[in-house]
Amino acid sequence: MIEAIKQKEALIKSLSSQKDIFNKIRKYSALGLVVSLILAFIFMFVLRPLGTGLFILTLVIVVAVGVLSLLDYIWKCRIKGAEDSHRRLIYDFEHPDHPLVDEKVNIVRKALNSVKNFFSKPSNIIVFVFAIVLSIMVLFPLGKLFLNTFQVGTRDETRLINEEWGTSLSMGDWTLLNWPMLLFPKSKDYASWSLSFFWKPLGNSVAMSLLACTIAVVFGGAFAWLITRSNIPCKKFISTVFIFPYIMPSWSLAMFWENFFKNSASAQSPGVGMLQSMTRWMTASGVGICAPEWLIYGLIPTAICLGMHYAPFAYILIGGILRNMDANLEEAATILKASKFKILRRITLPIVAPAMISTILLVFSSSLSTFTVPDKLRFSSISITLRSLLSTAGFKRMGYVVAVILMIFSILILTLNNWFTKSRRNFTTVSGKSGQITKTDLKKAKWPIAVFAIILVIFTSIVPLLSFVLESLEENSGDLSTLTLKYWTSSQQFDSFIASKNISTQGVFHNSAIWGAFGRSIIVAVFVALIAGTCGILIGYAVSKNRRGKLANFVSSVAFLPYLIPALSFGAVYYSLIKIPAFSFLDISTTTKQASAVGICIIIGMVKFLPFASRTGTNAMLQVSGEIEEAAVITGCPWHKRMTRILFPIQKSSFISGYLLPFISCMREYTLFILVTSEVTLITNVLQYFTKNGLGQLANAINLLIVVFVIGANFLVNKLTGASIDKGIGG
Amino acid sequence: MPRIELINVSKRWGSFVGVDHLNLVIEDNEFITLLGPSGCGKTTTLRMIAGLETPTEGKIIIGDTVVFDSQEGINLSPAKRDIGFLFQNYALWPHMTVYKNIAFGLENLKWKKEDIANRVDEVCKMLKIEQFKDRYPAELSGGQQQRVAIARTLAPNPKVLFMDEPLSNLDAKLRGEMRTELKRLHKDTGSTFVYVTHDQLEAMTLATRICLIETGVLQQYDPPLTVYNRPANLFVADFVGNPTMNFIKSKAVILDPRTVDLDVYGVKVRFHAEQDVQLNSEDVVLGIRPEFLDINKKGKIQGRAFAALPAGMETTVKIELGGNLLSSVKFGAVNYKTDETIHFDIVGDGIILFDALSKRNVSLGSVEIL
Repeated sequence: MIEAIKQKEALIKSLSSQKDIFNKIRKYSALGLVVSLILAFIFMFVLRPLGTGLFILTLVIVVAVGVLSLLDYIWKCRIKGAEDSHRRLIYDFEHPDHPLVDEKVNIVRKALNSVKNFFSKPSNIIVFVFAIVLSIMVLFPLGKLFLNTFQVGTRDETRLINEEWGTSLSMGDWTLLNWPMLLFPKSKDYASWSLSFFWKPLGNSVAMSLLACTIAVVFGGAFAWLITRSNIPCKKFISTVFIFPYIMPSWSLAMFWENFFKNSASAQSPGVGMLQSMTRWMTASGVGICAPEWLIYGLIPTAICLGMHYAPFAYILIGGILRNMDANLEEAATILKASKFKILRRITLPIVAPAMISTILLVFSSSLSTFTVPDKLRFSSISITLRSLLSTAGFKRMGYVVAVILMIFSILILTLNNWFTKSRRNFTTVSGKSGQITKTDLKKAKWPIAVFAIILVIFTSIVPLLSFVLESLEENSGDLSTLTLKYWTSSQQFDSFIASKNISTQGVFHNSAIWGAFGRSIIVAVFVALIAGTCGILIGYAVSKNRRGKLANFVSSVAFLPYLIPALSFGAVYYSLIKIPAFSFLDISTTTKQASAVGICIIIGMVKFLPFASRTGTNAMLQVSGEIEEAAVITGCPWHKRMTRILFPIQKSSFISGYLLPFISCMREYTLFILVTSEVTLITNVLQYFTKNGLGQLANAINLLIVVFVIGANFLVNKLTGASIDKGIGG
Repeated sequence: MPRIELINVSKRWGSFVGVDHLNLVIEDNEFITLLGPSGCGKTTTLRMIAGLETPTEGKIIIGDTVVFDSQEGINLSPAKRDIGFLFQNYALWPHMTVYKNIAFGLENLKWKKEDIANRVDEVCKMLKIEQFKDRYPAELSGGQQQRVAIARTLAPNPKVLFMDEPLSNLDAKLRGEMRTELKRLHKDTGSTFVYVTHDQLEAMTLATRICLIETGVLQQYDPPLTVYNRPANLFVADFVGNPTMNFIKSKAVILDPRTVDLDVYGVKVRFHAEQDVQLNSEDVVLGIRPEFLDINKKGKIQGRAFAALPAGMETTVKIELGGNLLSSVKFGAVNYKTDETIHFDIVGDGIILFDALSKRNVSLGSVEIL
């Protein structure tokens, strides 16, 4: 008996060490696989034969990894078998009076039973349904987009590629050439085109995003610290108003920036801005202060506007951690005689570091793909390239290539984010409540800092609103003597050319285009919020119940995937999808019906904003201990009743935040819907269209409408239910 | 009447074994405690009987109904098992008042309104929480919340009551009071109680039978005093009893089937077993409860006082013998000076001989010092 046990132990040991060796080899081959694949790609365009050789090598490694994985699996089973019999032997040895009896197993029956058991739980049904639905709605379009980059689609594309590479491809053929066509073209003309149209904008975008991240984290972090950890006065006002820019559409700040700085000295800018008109009296010539060109358009203003837009996001994330951070951590350092500054540097900052890195990465990935702000402030970014490629015949596939590249960027960023937060998770654990945080006394600096902060938030949050009001009232931009109400009340057409296209350009109150679009926007936002919010709660429920389940993890990561995909690429995904004949009824360019556009917008919006909702839902559900639901299960309470009578009421405010967030995001979204809508489908379309066509007053009025509506909705929901947007993100 | 039977019940998560081939019969009207260190599978076992967790294989019968059978694919939902469950953290619904919390389960059973009101009044009176009926759980103290949770569990008159470490969140004094009340409640309701705990004192004082589990394997299933006096193996002997049993590793020399010569840290002793001794090897462990080390001036063994820990009613004395420590308990407060010489005997017939390899209890017996 004892001999047998010892033998088994030795067997397990030797099997495990063999398995370790397989694993090690597999790990290195996987690394080799990636390296050789990258090299193969590079050499394909430079030194063909070597590239082909490397491709074959890659294939060999793929096979090897496959074999190793199989071996690994077989060994795993063998180890498990050995462990089982080892355990059995020990059991029999220690309990000779009742030896174990083998159970007869009917495999078919067992399988059927386990399927039956699986589906007897509502959470499993939810997981199963969402696994299918999300695969269709997220993974399938993504795969389709990716495959599209390896195909020549239209006659124009075929001609361009054949001319450039001397190939004889015909329409619909598979090829790798879309990629080098954009990245490393052969001929000189295309090389310079690629440089100025792809590489430079890409560099621009990266620079802009880096700057925006820095601004967001510095401002957001500083405000978060001031609000949670210092005795600065007017906390409530500052913290309420500070998050306005995040609630407002992202281009609002850009619009305000232009309204503020545009001047007569700049050749590009239309009209006179607030700064110039307000400083007329100061200068002798009466011209006023004219900001230099670089301050109105280009990298600096774009980065500042984006940074200020995302600063509240950083504020919410970092503030959340600072608020929940165990005060004992800092108190322990105080007792050990560390100075306040040292505590900040050595204790507080390292603890909020994961949140900061998260913010940096998320802001980076959002900025990289943002379209409206650089478009408004005339900064050539990669998103603008993407937009124009997608809308030019013959270049669509290259547009898909750019979309895929942007996606790869985001996925890399998220992987990095996960890596950072995972390796640091052990010390980010926020424990319980820290009611008695000792707040830093700012002493004499208290009021100056407060005044500075208040001026700053007024400038980023309230002055923009005023500027929109002013701009919608001035006949000549910046000229206060031309104040008029006609852009609101008049029923005259302000632009006969646009009016001739059946788009109303009357004053806001009479404008059918604006109100029609506004109504459609609300419809889209309401439906998206209802669907995404509910799905988010269901996913949250199912994921919290199956935390170990593979399928549940799959659902939770696929539900988060849309977050990583830049809005424009996401639009492109569905854009490529509606080009499939089966979905052509959703294509706005073939059917002029706005209803179909609203339909596709709801689908896209729902998928795109699902990550917010599912994160909020999951966090809320995880906070409810499983026992709370089980206590109801025991009493025979059916599932729907448990959801509506127990779980929802307990986490009401979090769940409502899960509805509010998609609603607000959807209301102000433009980039996401740009490819699948016409110029009058949604309110944001109308806004952009009027801006482009010199109807600045109407555009400003629309922007004011959106901002007031969104802030009003947020405020109302907040007052009624206690839910708020910052709870959703920070939660 | 409900008799609970578990047949070969196992629970695995991947290759991790939570509960391993558990066989258990709980008779009607018993008070069973599932006892074991944390993570041993006792809560899993309880949740499997209640239907909150699905076993990987096995069969569970409550009364005449098979509530789970992996072969037949039977798996009754918890609601159909006619049970009550008391959770460790009470799991009171924070958005409902005490009244609503208790009434909720009855509503699900489709009781009439006045019946519900009467029953709620009745259980509230029984647990002395009538004055809190309109309060929310957050407005109650820990002990009051505990009572509400019990009231909620008792309200539908369950035949079987499951409790998952219900007293672990209470302070020591309150825990003592609740223990008394639970024992009384068991008598008054006439239900079968199954109680999970890691506190051996709780298990000893409450249960009619203790089920001791370690790493998912049943170790012993007997009345408390049997578990204490006749532990089945080294694990049980070590887990039950405070201060813990003294374990002395030794080589055995079998003289005849009932007489074994041993060496206790340099002291030669002879063990007289009450039954025939069979050993896997000469390696044995001698288990001596602290109360069987009798300190007296005429004691045949001489040791040194390492530390004395008087607790008022009794004093635990740590004795150093040949470089090893032994615990002894003496009634009353007796203080020994550190390093003072102590004489003691090994008395009684409750000394246990364990097989070091199989860890099993070989025989009880008495010790004669040579």
